Amino acid sequence: MFAKSWVKGLTRFSFTEIFIPLIIVAGSSLWLSGRSTSLLLFIKFTLCYLMMVLSLQVFVGNSGVLSFGHGSFAMVGAFVSGLATAPLVIKQHAMSLSNLWQPLVDFKLNLGMSLLASAIAGGVFAALTGGFLMRLNGLAAGIATFALLGITYNILFNNNHIGPSNQALPGVSQFSSLTLPLVLVLLAMVLVYFYNLSRLGRTLRATREDNMASRGLGINIVRVRWMSFMFSGLLAGLAGAMYAHVGGAVQVQDYYLGFTFFTLAMLIVGGSASLWGAVLGTIVVSGVSQILLMWEQSTPVLGVTIHLPIGTRAIVIAGMLVVILLWRPNGISNGNEFKLPNFLSKIKVS
Amino acid sequence: MIQTILNALSLGGTYALASLGLGLVFGVMRLVNFAYSELITIAAYTLVMTNQLPIMVSFLFSVVVTSLAAVLMELLIYRRLRGAAPAIMLVASFGLSKLLQQVYELCFGALPRSASIAPWMSGELKFAGVSITNASLITAILTIVLLLAMRYLLNKTSFGIQLKAASADFRTARLLGVRANHLISLAFVMSGVLAAFVGAILVVGNPQVEPMFGMNMTILALVGIVIGGISSLPGSALGGFIVGVILSLLNTWLGNGRVYSYSWLFAAVFIILLVRPGGLLSKGQEMERV
Repeated sequence: MFAKSWVKGLTRFSFTEIFIPLIIVAGSSLWLSGRSTSLLLFIKFTLCYLMMVLSLQVFVGNSGVLSFGHGSFAMVGAFVSGLATAPLVIKQHAMSLSNLWQPLVDFKLNLGMSLLASAIAGGVFAALTGGFLMRLNGLAAGIATFALLGITYNILFNNNHIGPSNQALPGVSQFSSLTLPLVLVLLAMVLVYFYNLSRLGRTLRATREDNMASRGLGINIVRVRWMSFMFSGLLAGLAGAMYAHVGGAVQVQDYYLGFTFFTLAMLIVGGSASLWGAVLGTIVVSGVSQILLMWEQSTPVLGVTIHLPIGTRAIVIAGMLVVILLWRPNGISNGNEFKLPNFLSKIKVS
Repeated sequence: MIQTILNALSLGGTYALASLGLGLVFGVMRLVNFAYSELITIAAYTLVMTNQLPIMVSFLFSVVVTSLAAVLMELLIYRRLRGAAPAIMLVASFGLSKLLQQVYELCFGALPRSASIAPWMSGELKFAGVSITNASLITAILTIVLLLAMRYLLNKTSFGIQLKAASADFRTARLLGVRANHLISLAFVMSGVLAAFVGAILVVGNPQVEPMFGMNMTILALVGIVIGGISSLPGSALGGFIVGVILSLLNTWLGNGRVYSYSWLFAAVFIILLVRPGGLLSKGQEMERV
């Protein structure tokens, strides 16, 4: 009742669906990050991944069209934000940047503005490429987004006028605390949730469920996909920039196949059709990954130490993706939003 | 000039073989098999590891290993996913591909393994004033022979006709008595055999085998089947051939700019897809069914 009058047009708004995931993300981040500096770094990277997975959920989850191309928006975001915040002395003297285009050397923004700029850059890039890509359907679209990733990587990897090419860009300013990345991610979660409930989000899901029928209902598929692609590119650009500000450096290889695979795996493991799926997938995959990493380094996790050979982690993550797809093709969340267990929700109804 | 043409032909032929291997499997079960790259890689590893054996024995061995790997892949993973959405199968094969890469890394190490395979291949042949390398000549001849053999197989044998029927409409083909499990397994075997050939051709040119050895080839071959027409077998081969030829010519013509040849290639792919979203040899309506 309250929900309907609160935001017009939201037909299925429910407090638990958005607030419990928000509390889980904020609570676990704050709790874990206080325990050790390595966990703090892990939480920061996980928040970047979560931002990326949210971006993928907006487009891939709602449209059902696979995109391998989001890494290119993250690359662009990272390059914009990295070049905007790297100190002048580094840009003038680093070997890898000796050919940098002059306007880029002078390009300077503070941290907040550079994040904004990278989000805009990601969104604009998505808007430009999406105009072409969204005309394609099904698998052709999936492969074409791969081509987009290939082009962006190929150019950024080889051209030393617009960036550090195949070297790392050092000295990118880092987040001083957890607050800014956490707030950004929580904000993105709220936005994505409302987007999923909005007219645009629901129309896009209709095109996913039945391409022909949705066209018959007068939905302009290219247009709704394109708008979501833009929003999704915006978040991906932001995610790439955040990743650069956590690591303190930009390297184009960081956003290529491994990154694409890891974030897609998170989305699919959790369940691509819902916000909760994106959050759950990120938590599960990065949690498992971190535990295995600590065991590879023979560090105890909650008092338990298992000595694993290096490389186990990557095998387990890839294996997990395959097994989840065999066992539960819609992911752990099965495509549902967060729901309290039955006995709890019954208490609240009265 | 002759060398350039021959290079283009042999590279085009190699890509055509890889695309055909992918297209065969796609046709019967709508699966874009990313893990094809790991089949190429295992073929190359087998050749390098059994280098002390005579080349033909070593090659036969790699054909057996690769097609076995392909059949296992189908039995253990893809059979359980049959009927799932194409996007789900695509992601699953992407995961499987990463999984196998890690397994290779664990078994063979992350650094390249190399061996000199058939050293006489890098020799040159002088012919009427032009010199061409043995490898490109043999590759060109081999791929032409293989493509003709595949053409015969697809058009003249019962298996080939069943495959083509299944690619066109799997359900109707089953109703007409095509045995699905049998056919799909056979398609995987064929795809494995083609991967073994592709692996052998690649390893002769570049005997540095590492866990991601087949990746580049597979991505480009995938692009090939998409531009050729994803649901037509001749289309797949043609698309692969086009990709190979364009890439080879770009590498020759661009000179120092050849680092950007992938960008130009992908840009060309974009344009082809915009003009003909279903691929060069598609009939328009087929996209809806996918």
